[in-house]
Amino acid sequence: MSTGSGAATFVDRYPEEASIVRQAFFVAFVAFGLGALFGVIQALHRTDILRFIPSTDYYTVLTAHGVLLVIVFTIFFLVGLFQWAITRSFDRPVEDIRITKAWLALMSVGSVVTGVTILLGFVDEVGISADVLFTFYAPLQAHPLFYAGLAVFLVGTWIAGADWFRSWLAWNAEHPDDRIPLQAFVVLTTMLMWYIATIGVAVAVLFFLLPWSLGLIETVNPLLTRTLFWFFGHPVVYFWLMPAYLLWYTVLPKIAGGRLFSDPLARVVFVLFLLLSTPVGIHHQYLDPGIAESFKFIAMTNTMFLLLPSLLTAFTVVASVEHGARQRGGTGLFGWLRALPWRDPAFTGMMLAGLMFAAGGFSGMINAGMNINYLVHNTLWVPGHFHLTVGTAVALTMMAGTYWLWPQLTNRRLYSRPIGLLQVVVWFGGMALMSNAMHVSGLYGIPRRTAEPQYQGFDFSTAFGSVAELNVQLAIGGTLLFVSALLFLANLAFSWGNPTTSGLGQTLPPALSGPDDSPRVLDNMRLWAAIALVLVALAYALPLGAIVADSGLFGPGGDAYPVTVVLNSVAVTAERLTASVGATLADVGGVLEVIR
Amino acid sequence: MNEGMVSADDGATHGDLERSVSAPPDQADVDRTLSHEEFDPKGTLALILVYFAILVGMWVFMYFVEFLGNGLTVVG
Ligand code: HEM
Ligand SMILES: [Cu+2]
Repeated sequence: MSTGSGAATFVDRYPEEASIVRQAFFVAFVAFGLGALFGVIQALHRTDILRFIPSTDYYTVLTAHGVLLVIVFTIFFLVGLFQWAITRSFDRPVEDIRITKAWLALMSVGSVVTGVTILLGFVDEVGISADVLFTFYAPLQAHPLFYAGLAVFLVGTWIAGADWFRSWLAWNAEHPDDRIPLQAFVVLTTMLMWYIATIGVAVAVLFFLLPWSLGLIETVNPLLTRTLFWFFGHPVVYFWLMPAYLLWYTVLPKIAGGRLFSDPLARVVFVLFLLLSTPVGIHHQYLDPGIAESFKFIAMTNTMFLLLPSLLTAFTVVASVEHGARQRGGTGLFGWLRALPWRDPAFTGMMLAGLMFAAGGFSGMINAGMNINYLVHNTLWVPGHFHLTVGTAVALTMMAGTYWLWPQLTNRRLYSRPIGLLQVVVWFGGMALMSNAMHVSGLYGIPRRTAEPQYQGFDFSTAFGSVAELNVQLAIGGTLLFVSALLFLANLAFSWGNPTTSGLGQTLPPALSGPDDSPRVLDNMRLWAAIALVLVALAYALPLGAIVADSGLFGPGGDAYPVTVVLNSVAVTAERLTASVGATLADVGGVLEVIR
Repeated sequence: MNEGMVSADDGATHGDLERSVSAPPDQADVDRTLSHEEFDPKGTLALILVYFAILVGMWVFMYFVEFLGNGLTVVG
C-alpha cells in the first residue's frame, strides 16, 4: 500500500507554469458552461419542447454554442494541457514566462472580443451581430470585430506553439542525444499540424472576410473561402482530439495501473496525423458545386487512410489498459475488464469517452463515403456524429483528465469523487440518448441548423418510432448533458474550497516498449513538416487553382447577408428562399447548403 | 474488488475520509509486474475483433435499410 508520501506535484515544482495552466483551464470551463447552457436551449427549442428565445435568435445561440465549445473550450484546454505536458516532460521551466503570459492574454482578449460580438446579437439596439455559425461561410457576414477577435486568438496560439518549440530547442541543446519525451513529441507534431492548418483560415479571414466585412472589398468568392475554411476545418478536428490522445496515451495507462504498451507506435500515430490530417478537408464539401468529383474522390481516399492512426490508437491504448488490468490481477479473455478502477471518475470518464469515440468512428465512416454522405449531408445526423467525437471523446476526456490533473495543479483534493463518477456516467447516458436521436432523425432527413424543423404539410416518415419520440429523446439527452456539465463545474468550484495538502504528487510510468526501440528519424520534425506541406500542396493546388480560375479571387459578385445591418435572421431567409424554390425536403437541404 | 486494487487506496494521506486523488502515486502496489515480454494483449485483440464484427454488422444493416429502401443516387 502506498504511504501517501507521493512525489512533488506539478504545482510544487513549477508554480508559475501551473498558474498558467489553471488560467487556461478557467477560460475553457467558463466557455464550456456557457456553451452547455446554449446547447440545452437548442435541444429544447428545436424539438419544440420549451422555447425560451424567439426563433430569430436561434442562430445567435447556435453560433455561440459552436464557437464557445469548439474554439474556446477545446483550444484553451489544449494550451493549458500542452503547457503542462511540455514543462513536465522536458522537466524545465518556460524560457520566459512573460511570453507565456502574453500568448495566453492574446488568446483571451481575442476570444472575449469574438464572444462578445456574437452575444451582442441578442441586443437588437446595438446593431452589432455575428450570427454566422462557427463555420462563418460567406455570404453570411459578421461584424468585423468577430473576425478581428479570431485573428488575435490565432496569433496567440501561434506564439504558444513558438514558445513550446523554443523550450524544445533549449532542452535539446542540453540533451543532444536524448529522444524527445513522448508528451513533448505530441505537442510538437500537433503544433506543426496547427501551423499548416491555420494557413487556410488565416488567409480566408485576413485577405477576404475581414476586408469584406469592413467594406474594403465588395465581394468574396464563397467557394474559395469555404474551401479555405475546410482546409483548416478538418485538421482542427485532430487539433481537438490530440489533447485527448495525449491523456489516453500518457495518463490513462497510469490510472489503469499499467504502462503505455508502445512508445514507438504512439510516435508513428502522431506523425501520421501530422501528415494526413490536412489533405482531406474537401471531404466536407462533397456536395459543393464547383469542385470536380475527382478532387473529392482523392479527399475520400486520403480520409480512409486516416482511419489507420485511429485504429492503431485503439489497439495501443486498450492494450495499455489491459496491461494495467493484468498487473492488478485481472485474468481471462474479457475478465480483466473487471479488475480496472471503475470507481475512479478519471478512469471511467476516459474509458466511456473512448467507447463513444468507437461509435463515432462508425458514423464518421458513413460521413466520409462520397455517396453515403449524400444521405446524411446537413441533416441532424452530422451533429449526432460530432457530439460523439468532439462532444464526448474530446470533451469527456478533458473533464476526466481534469479530475486527475486537479490535485497536481492545485495541491487540493477533488471535492467529491462519487459526484465525479456520477457526472461522467450521466454525460455518457445523456449523450447516448441525444446522439442516437440525432442520428436517427438525420436518416429521416430532419435538417440541422434549424430552429423550427417542422415544415407545414410535410411529414417526416420514420421506419420505427415517431418524430415526436425522437424529439423527446433528444431533449432528455440534452438536459442530462446540461446537468452533467453543471455537476462538473460545481465539483471543481467546491474543490477550490478544499485546503491545500502535501503529498498528492503522482508520477507517470515509462512505456513498456520505450522510445529507443524506434528509429530516430521519427523525431525529425523538419522532415515530417516538409512532407506534410508537400502533401497539402498536392491535394490543394489544383482544386484551389480551379476555383480561382472559374470565378476569380473575389467571386462572380452577389449580395452579402449582412446580418450585422438588417436583423434578418437566417431562418427567415431560409424560409423565403425555400418558398421560392418549392418546399420539397430535398430542396430545403439544397438551399441550406447554398446559404450556409 | 480485492485488496491491492487502486480504488482501495488512491494515495490519499492517512485517515482521510474522502479519497479524492486518482490512482496511487506510484505503482509499487500492483499485484504483479508484467514486462513487455510477459504481456500478451490477447484481451485487446478480442475486444477489437468484437468491434470489427459490430462494424461489419452495421454496414450490412445500413445496406438493407438505406439502399434497398431507396432509389439510386447518381454521382456527376
Ligand atoms: C450540454 C451539452 C450539449 C448539448 C445539449 C448540445 C446540443 C446541441 C444541439 C441540439 C445542436 C444542434 C443544433 C442545430 O443544428 O440546430 C448542437 C450543435 C453543435 N454542438 Fe452541441 N451540445 C452540447 C455539447 C457540445 C459540446 C461539448 C461540443 C463540443 C465540444 C458541442 C459542439 C457543437 C457544435 C460544433 C455544433 C454545431 C453548430 C453549428 O451547426 O454551427 N456541443 N449542439
Ligand atoms: Cu473532416
